[in-house]
This record gives sequence, C-alpha cells and structure tokens, in this order.
Amino acid sequence: MKLLTRTSRLYVSISVVVFIISGLIFYNILHGIFKRQLDETLIEEKLLIEQTINFSDSVPDFRLIFGHMIDVTILNAPHSKTGYIKDTLMYDHDLGTFASFRHLFAENTSFRKKGYTINIYKPLRDSEQLIAEIVISMSLVFIGLLLLLVIFNYFIARRVWIPFYRILDNLHKYEINQENPLELTSTDIYEFDLLNQALEKMSKKIRLDYMNLKEFNENAAHELQTPLAIIKSKLELLIQKENLDENQMHLISAVFEATTRMSKLNQGLLLISKIENNQFIHTEDVNIVTLIEKTIGHFEEMITHRHIAVSKNYRQQVTLNMNPTLAEILITNLVSNAIRHNINQGRIEINAEPDSFSITNTGQLLKTDPQILFERFRKSEINPDSVGLGLSIVQKIANLYLMKVDYICNQGLHTLKISYK
Amino acid sequence: MKILLVEDEKELSDSMAEYLQKENYLCEVVNNFEYALEKINLYHYDCIIVDIGLPDGSGLNLIRSLKKNRSETGIMIISARNSLDDKITGLEIGADDYLTKPFHLPELNARIKSIIRRRSFGGVNEIVFNELRILPENMEVMVNDESLTLTKKEYDLLVFFLSNQDRVLTREAIAEHLWGDDMDMADSFDFIYTHIKNLRKKILEKGGEDYIKTIYGMGYKFTGQ
Repeated sequence: MKLLTRTSRLYVSISVVVFIISGLIFYNILHGIFKRQLDETLIEEKLLIEQTINFSDSVPDFRLIFGHMIDVTILNAPHSKTGYIKDTLMYDHDLGTFASFRHLFAENTSFRKKGYTINIYKPLRDSEQLIAEIVISMSLVFIGLLLLLVIFNYFIARRVWIPFYRILDNLHKYEINQENPLELTSTDIYEFDLLNQALEKMSKKIRLDYMNLKEFNENAAHELQTPLAIIKSKLELLIQKENLDENQMHLISAVFEATTRMSKLNQGLLLISKIENNQFIHTEDVNIVTLIEKTIGHFEEMITHRHIAVSKNYRQQVTLNMNPTLAEILITNLVSNAIRHNINQGRIEINAEPDSFSITNTGQLLKTDPQILFERFRKSEINPDSVGLGLSIVQKIANLYLMKVDYICNQGLHTLKISYK
Repeated sequence: MKILLVEDEKELSDSMAEYLQKENYLCEVVNNFEYALEKINLYHYDCIIVDIGLPDGSGLNLIRSLKKNRSETGIMIISARNSLDDKITGLEIGADDYLTKPFHLPELNARIKSIIRRRSFGGVNEIVFNELRILPENMEVMVNDESLTLTKKEYDLLVFFLSNQDRVLTREAIAEHLWGDDMDMADSFDFIYTHIKNLRKKILEKGGEDYIKTIYGMGYKFTGQ
C-alpha cells in the first residue's frame, strides 16, 4: 500500500470516528439546551398561571394566551405542593399521530386555600426538527471539509514526497561497481536531506569496502602466483634427485597435484577480477562459429576418447565485437564444460542463431539448483576434480558484453545458451 | 652456450638456473633491470630469459635495447601477467617465445632449446640421441636412418622428451606441453599413457630401444642409462 493511500485512509477513518462521536455529543448538548429552554418557558407559564389563580381563583382560558395544551383544574380542598417536568407521548392533533411532548405537572394550594393542578404540554417536534437541521448542515460542512482535507493532503503529500522518489530512483540506478559514486541532489526538506546524507555515507562506506575487497582479491591472487611458481619449480627440481624412493615420489606427486590445482584456481580468480576490473579493453570482431570449430578441434582427442558425437547446426555466422582472449576463454569454458560433464557415448549439439548460440550436452541429472551453478567454487558432485570457476567466468564475460546466459536442463540434456542483442 | 636469466624473484631464478645448468648451459642470473641492461651491453649471450615485470623497469625495454644493437640473442619472455597484450607486444618487438608463470621447468628448457636450435645457423639443426635422429625443420624422425611416421602429438612428445633427457617429467608438465593448460587433467593422463604406449611401440618396431621409463605415480623419464 502506498504511504499516501495509507495516510489518506487513516485520515478519513479517524475523521469519521471523531465526527460520529462529536456529533453524538453535540446532539446531546443541543438537545439539553433546547429542553432547558422549553422547561424554562414551561415554568414561566406555570408561574403566570399560578399568579392568576392566586389573585382570582378562576381559570382563564390560557390556551388563548399560549396557544397550546394547558389543563388547569381548581380543587376545593387545599393540596400539598408537588410537581415535575418529563417527556411524554401524546396524540398530536396537528400531526394526527403520537408525538413527543414536554409535560409540566404541578399541584399546589392557592392563597385562598384552594388546591389546583396544572398540566402544560409543549410539543418537542419543533426543537427536534431544528436539531436535525443543524446536524444535517453541520454534517455537510464536515464532509465537505473532509473531502477538501483529503484532496489537499494528497496533493501536498505528492509534492512533498517528490524528493523521496528522486532519491529512490537514484538508488535504483546506482551500481556498486560503477565508476562514479552515489550522488543525491539536496532537497529543501530536512528529513530527506538527512536521509540523503545517511545514504551517501553508507554507499561510500560500502563502495570503499567493496573496492578494498576487490583489490584484496586481485592482490591476493596476484601475489600467490610467485610463491606457487616457486613451489612448483622447487618440486620439479626435487623429483630430479636420484635417490628418491617410491613412497617419497608419491608424497611429492600429491603436493604437485595440489599445487597445480591451486595454481589453476588462482588463475581463475585472477581472471575474474581482471574481467571485473575491465582490464580487457581491446575488442575486435570475433567469429564465434570459427572459434567454436577451433576449440572443438582442440578437444578432438578428448571427444574421440569418450565417444562423444558432436552435431553442429550453424544457422548463421555469428560475429561478436569482444575481446579475443575473453571470447576464447568463453568458448573454451563452454566446450570443455560440455565435454567434462558429458557421459561416454554422449552427444554435444552446437547451435548458432542470429541472436544466440548454445551448446547442449548429454549428462547426468543435476541434483543442485541450476542457478547456483554460476556461483564461484560451485562444482558438481560427479566431477569433484574441477576447480568450479568455469561457469562463473562464463557469466562474468557474458555480463561484460551484456549477453545473457541461460541454463536449460531438459531430460538429461543440459543447454547453456548465450543470447545477445 | 651462455644464457642470461633476468628474474627478480630469487628463488625462482635459482630454480631455473639449477635446471638449466644441468644442460651444460652457462647460466648467469641478474635480479634487476639496470644490472641486466649492463650485462647485455657488455657481453654476448646465446639466449636471454626476461621477466617482464621487473621492479625497476619493464623487461620489454631490455628486448628493445637488444634489438637496437642488432643482437642475435634468442629471447624468451616470462611473465606473471597472463595477458595477450604483453604477449603480442613482446613477440612484435622481436622476442622468440613467451611463457606464463607459473610454468614447468621442462617446458622452459624445451622452449629454450628450440630457440637455440632455430638460432644456430651452423647446420646442427637436428637432435640426435643414439639411434634416434630428429630433423625439427621437417618434423621428421629417423630410427637407425629409417623414417618413422608419428602423429603430431607423438612427435611433440618425443621432442619434449629429448629436450629433457634424464629428467623426470611429470604428467602435468607433459599434458600442458601437449594441450595447453585448459585440458582436464584426469583425462589427459589417459591420453599421455596412450601416446607413450604408441610411441614406444613405433620406435621398437623400427629396431630402436625403449628409452622411456615410467616413474610410478609421477610421470616419465627419457634416459639412455
């Protein structure tokens, strides 16, 4: 839910609740006021009637004076003083139905020791009508105000949040490995400026860490080269010694193999960091089909050895503008991957289309999630000897030239497809 | 044969020198650019092995200097940088070959021998070992003066062995020599075995001797002893 929708909804619902509660309170207060006024009038009228009775003991026709229902009865015996005012339901002749009335009842004894009772009825409908009119007009005003508030709030919020969306947009566009640092334009809103500052600070820190890490990776890989070369050369000298027995040879052989592996690993890592650092600047038009042919030729022995049938389907000559070394590494990795993970008597299919090329090989079913194949050091459980950088390098090279690598696995057929625009 | 070795990493240059000295080369080692420049200006070498990334200058400049003096010295570049640009530049300005660190010492040895062979105009451009005779220019092999038909890989293998006589060659070194370093190791060991088997058989058929000894768990050794 958008923040704006959320606040608007909250605004409206809270306002409605507040309106209902305050409306009720308002109604009650209004009602009270009207009743009190009515009661005051009733009492005034009663006093007037009492005065008249006290002076004359007769009952004038008050209906003429006040114009509504008054009932006065003079008794012969004196009567104690009581009285009340209450609401009552009576038949209203004007309306022809029962309606609410305010009813004053009083009993007393006049100066001339005669008791009397007074009943005055006043209809409530006038005041109720008034209250209803007031409430309706108030509600209309309120709803109008609320609508205005929501609309204004919407526009104001939209205006106020513009810098926020700009920041968000910048963040979206920002990539940690690109040249220029994250730059956010300053806004005239204090909170967003704070956010800007925090983001800039954070991105600088992340960038620095990232750079350091990248540099460390590269340096580490680079610096490992020399010691590895030394170990290898010393081992090669060592095995030339005449007096080594078989057991010692075995030990040296194991060290040698481990060193070779490490050396390959290191070269892979160095290559990845070089690709990441964009150190392969030189590009030229590389004919991919020719390159694939050349690479297949290079691996001919291995293909024959494992009785793998290679079928080619070149629908088009594919020429890509890229670094020749990287192109070679890309194709070599794909082809060797297809051979390495193949089965004996398997197949390799190579397809070249106008917008993509793909290499398909038969192979055992994967147990792992295909996507993580592209991660570094990810290797199949079938072939634990491989270093596990091949597909990661393929991915890096493809990314560099904005190509897309797809892995498709279908009934024991594994396809790596490189698509380009 | 005099060889100048320019490499700033002392342990590495020591290893190279030790390996090469067994081939009866006179091997001089220098560890920086300045000293190397002095040496090449003062003395004549049959071959110079140059590391490109020297602490006080680029090995490429040493090659330029040699070429300016119209030197006939064979030039071998070694570099940690696995970069095509370096390779192209090096070969363009007149280097004979290029090797990337880390390399196998037998590989370096074989390549230097090849450079020296190509440079010697005295007509000794052939490798002779007892009844075996190789004419590298025609890629021809003779056993007891009888021509031997070998595949490309078998021929490469034999030359590699002959360049590193009496040395233990690891299977890794042989695999890299024959297929480069992007070959799957486990598989290539099988191929090496097959190639060596065929090579032995072919030489034996022509009345040659079996000089290839298997060093168990390690590799092979070509020896006349």
